[in-house]
Amino acid sequence: MPSSKVAKRYARALMGLSNDHRQLEIWGAELERLARIIESPEIATRLESPELLAASRTDALRVIEEKLDVSFPVRSFALVVASHGRLPEMPAIAEAYGRMLDDLLGRARCTLTFAQPPTNDGLRKIIAGLEAIARKTIIPTINVDASLIGGVVAELEGKTYDGSLAARLAEAQHRLAG
Amino acid sequence: MKRRIAIAASLGAALIPSAALAAEGGESSGSWSSLLLYIINIGIFVFILVKYAVPMVRDFFNQRAATIRESLSKAESNYREAEELANRAAERTAKLESEKAQIASDLADETVYQVGRIYEIAQETAARIKRDTELSAAATREAGQRRMREALAAATGRLARAMIVRDFKPADQNRLLDSFVAKLRDEAR
Repeated sequence: MPSSKVAKRYARALMGLSNDHRQLEIWGAELERLARIIESPEIATRLESPELLAASRTDALRVIEEKLDVSFPVRSFALVVASHGRLPEMPAIAEAYGRMLDDLLGRARCTLTFAQPPTNDGLRKIIAGLEAIARKTIIPTINVDASLIGGVVAELEGKTYDGSLAARLAEAQHRLAG
Repeated sequence: MKRRIAIAASLGAALIPSAALAAEGGESSGSWSSLLLYIINIGIFVFILVKYAVPMVRDFFNQRAATIRESLSKAESNYREAEELANRAAERTAKLESEKAQIASDLADETVYQVGRIYEIAQETAARIKRDTELSAAATREAGQRRMREALAAATGRLARAMIVRDFKPADQNRLLDSFVAKLRDEAR
């Protein structure tokens, strides 16, 4: 079975449970933290080592969960995932969970790349414009890239809205070249 | 069989007078009876010759004459055939001369035609080469112009970028963001 399908199944199961406990956001954040730690190269290499016994792997995961102060249901979920040998799928599960949660709550993730750090007013206006397009609440990720010279580039639901000066220059150059 | 009988009769006729002469006591002097015997003997001999040998000789000569006539006829026939063949050969030789002239004429015509055709092909090839050369020259010229335009555009772009970066102000950024927001509003409608 492809890993994305597996990840979706696990994510759906956790979502059902978190929805019942009204802990959608909290458990989602905990899952995200746990996934980030598990996918970090130094931890992932050790946890996925074939020399490591299943019991030792479970113990290591418990230690990580305690350090991160993860809630009991998420701990149990992670242990179930580990016992099925799907620990490497944890980042994909967290991502699938995030997407499902966004769909459920009517949210959309957007990456905004500015040429200069934006002002709050400018950011608010752009997010409002993007929300009008997506008809969802926008959760932005802000980046700064000086090579854009000026303006902003927004990536929303697989579509790119390029309002950068670098793009205008490139277009003008292309037109000049004929 | 006839031949054997004829030989036996000849021998008989030849020996009978001798036997008769011996029976009479070997008289050495001539007599009328001896003469008569000789005459009878000769008569028998002549009769046998006329009866048997002459037809054989006649047949032999008749056959020989027929063979000679046949050979002569064959020789005449062969002569006529040879004469006919010679005539035919002469006719053929005459025809060959005519054919040779015809072939020479055809070859001359063909040569003229081929020369004309080669000339036409050469003209077509020259025209094609000229056309291809013109097209290649046009393509090369166009490519050169395009490269020149691209180089100019790149240089202009670099220059414009440097100027914009040098003179870019926060107000410009705000203006760009406002225009971006307006674009998003248009997209949302």
